[in-house]
Amino acid sequence: MDKIKLETRHVSIEFPGVKALDDVTFEVETGEIRAVVGANGAGKSTLMKVLAGANPGYTGDVLLNGEVVHLRLPVDAKKLGIQIVYQEVDTALVPTLSVAENIMLNEMVMSGGNVMNWRNTRSEAKKALERLHINNIDVRTLVQNLTLAQKQMVLIARAIRMNCNFLILDEPTAPLSNTETEELFTIVRRLLKQENLAVIFISHRLDEILEICEKYTVMRNGKIICTDPVTPQTTTKEIVEKMLGRSFEENFPKEACPIGEVLFHTDHLTEAEGRITDISINVKRGEIVGIAGLVGAGKSELCKTIFGVYRKAEGDIVLDDKSLKIGNPSDAVRQRIALVPEERRKEGVLVNETVTFNLSAACLDKFCTASFVSRRKANANAREYVESLGIATPTIHQVVRNLSGGNQQKVAVGKWLAADSDLYIFDEPTKGVDVGAKQDIFRLINEIAKSGKAVIYASCENSELLSLTDRIYVMYSGRIMAELKTSETSEDEIMFYSVGGKSEKVGA
Amino acid sequence: MNTKTANQRHVGRFLVSWAAVLALVACFIAFTALKGSAFMSMSNMTNILRAMAITTVFGIAATVTMAPDGFDMSAGTLASCSAYAFVSAYLWFGLNLGLSIVVSIVTTIVMYQLTMLLILVCKIPDMLATCSLMFVHQGLGQWYIGGGAVSTGMRTSWGAQPARTQLSPAFSAIGRAPWIIIIMLACVGVAFVFLNYTKHGRFLYAMGGNKEAAKLSGINIKKYRYMAGMITAVFIAIAGILVASRGSSAQVMCCDDYLMPSLAAVFVGRTVGGAEKPNALGTLVGAGLISTLENGLTIVAVPFYVLPAVKGAVLALALVAAYATKKED
Repeated sequence: MDKIKLETRHVSIEFPGVKALDDVTFEVETGEIRAVVGANGAGKSTLMKVLAGANPGYTGDVLLNGEVVHLRLPVDAKKLGIQIVYQEVDTALVPTLSVAENIMLNEMVMSGGNVMNWRNTRSEAKKALERLHINNIDVRTLVQNLTLAQKQMVLIARAIRMNCNFLILDEPTAPLSNTETEELFTIVRRLLKQENLAVIFISHRLDEILEICEKYTVMRNGKIICTDPVTPQTTTKEIVEKMLGRSFEENFPKEACPIGEVLFHTDHLTEAEGRITDISINVKRGEIVGIAGLVGAGKSELCKTIFGVYRKAEGDIVLDDKSLKIGNPSDAVRQRIALVPEERRKEGVLVNETVTFNLSAACLDKFCTASFVSRRKANANAREYVESLGIATPTIHQVVRNLSGGNQQKVAVGKWLAADSDLYIFDEPTKGVDVGAKQDIFRLINEIAKSGKAVIYASCENSELLSLTDRIYVMYSGRIMAELKTSETSEDEIMFYSVGGKSEKVGA
Repeated sequence: MNTKTANQRHVGRFLVSWAAVLALVACFIAFTALKGSAFMSMSNMTNILRAMAITTVFGIAATVTMAPDGFDMSAGTLASCSAYAFVSAYLWFGLNLGLSIVVSIVTTIVMYQLTMLLILVCKIPDMLATCSLMFVHQGLGQWYIGGGAVSTGMRTSWGAQPARTQLSPAFSAIGRAPWIIIIMLACVGVAFVFLNYTKHGRFLYAMGGNKEAAKLSGINIKKYRYMAGMITAVFIAIAGILVASRGSSAQVMCCDDYLMPSLAAVFVGRTVGGAEKPNALGTLVGAGLISTLENGLTIVAVPFYVLPAVKGAVLALALVAAYATKKED
């Protein structure tokens, strides 16, 4: 088998305000398993999307065996033998159709004819699964009845059905259990032996990379930092250092304030569908506690479980010495817990409502006279918060959709300030927010802490956590890996635990 | 413990898959036990089949629309128009039976272009578009027939003498057993083969399951939604013709009331055989279940005006089966 080489030369991509890829020159050859690692926002996914034809706006060249190719549509990439399996498997599958149809969908569309040849479809799909040595999936089952791991296999089977020389797996193991991951690795290794194939493997779990890959490429801030072989001497620590290696650009110190007794804690909290397991954390009055971890580590899931969005299976949620019964978010709000969710536009604000309405939405009771909303009271409340939060809006009657991201976020925070809760949970509050607004939000969070409330701050921006919080819990795979005192830790240490590093002090 | 829950899930899934069929069998056993040959006789079985035929054909129309995740609230009102076109072509203009059927089908397809225009070009959600068209159909249809029924012995809407004064035996035969039953089964068979054994049918299902994935696989979503609409229109016309023939006339709004029972039949049939999507055989079972219940309950002397409650309960139970088992996310 002749080796095929795929390379990018000086590829750059600019999104408004950020250089997502900065002069990236990268190459990979069939016959190898290549890992691509980097912190969040390093540009891994962007680069993979370029290769998959899903990022048409790149500058520079992509070459296949030395010839320039144009990857402007997903179809272009597919035709050239570059297949990608995205992490969100459900977006690419039709749940109500059988496994066979899902594997063969592309070919069914491409080939002409009217008649559905079931026998052929099933046997071809079966062959594809057999190439992966998978025989525990019945091709007649509906995809919706499969496990996540099986769905991934279906997508891999679909990918190798077509001309496939480069198989990109975007964080395939994030949702998998250990045994499922093992299985996936076995399959990938076998595949590599029998086909002329390169597997590009994106993962945050460095131990896996050491196990399966021969070479790894480190990206940081849209640039390729290095490409090195994995040797028995390669350590997780070494890779982490390459992934980071930047100093903090922004600093938002936590203002000193007295820290009181424990106001909130969870006791072996486990979510019903295994999104988070055995979480025990505590927050004191006046304290800001960070939740660190990479995307998919379970930070949002923890926040949402506390808030009653996800159902808890076991464990206790205790606020102010009372064990809370939280069946849904409404219970949580009534028991004085506030959540500023990650998906601001979807979950945090009512985008089609006015600033006034948003700011009073969480505690409309306060602005009512005998069940009728008092416009006067609501308006007064809105004016107060628009001023104190520095929300840039022409009037308080502006529809929130028309505000900038940062100002929308301030509205999302402001709505809970009016509600006067005891525990404030922030889930990635600075995502997509400019620096100025960021500072305002940090000031706000500081003020909340100073007034003797408890604050949980979940973020994958470790530099923010390091400056803003008092303590940090690091999550990995839905569990707490370590509890760190902010003043005594470093970004390296957080990253070490975020990628699954084991703590020496058990039960710290 | 894991295998146990997996087993339970398996049993649960099996029950949901065959709930409608089991219910149907249970109905037969119960009514036979209660009433014996008054229920379980050849002539009564024919009754049941004849009674379910029209609902089933409407259900098949809805099945084809709902396969790609579409929806049509206006099927009933459109079918009334098909019926007006059919009977007026036959009586007023004196066309022969075959041509009258063609006229009715063509009229329906032409009127369905409006539905497709609103949905595909104006991008109005199906439910809202067809909801407004419901009224359009009612008004246009009745304007055409002049606000009164199209039947023998009546003048045309412009006051002329109709070309025919009698319905032929063939006209009436369409709405009687065995033809009405044969037509129903033919419709089910055609839809079944189309949805399961042609690629087009599978693509419609692919769109219904995950529109985005279907699009990215290269399926021309608009084209297929249009195709589903046209097939639906043909089935709607057939249903209208059956109603007219059965009633020996096209009464004002004669088909409007069939919409809800037919949707109920589709929903009841969704889970049949683990299909988890609107499917032709399931719709047949659904319509059969509703019809059998109505028939049996009438025989055991439940007053007819209580029957809608039973229909509603069947639909509610079917929806419980479909949604209560859904994982919350």
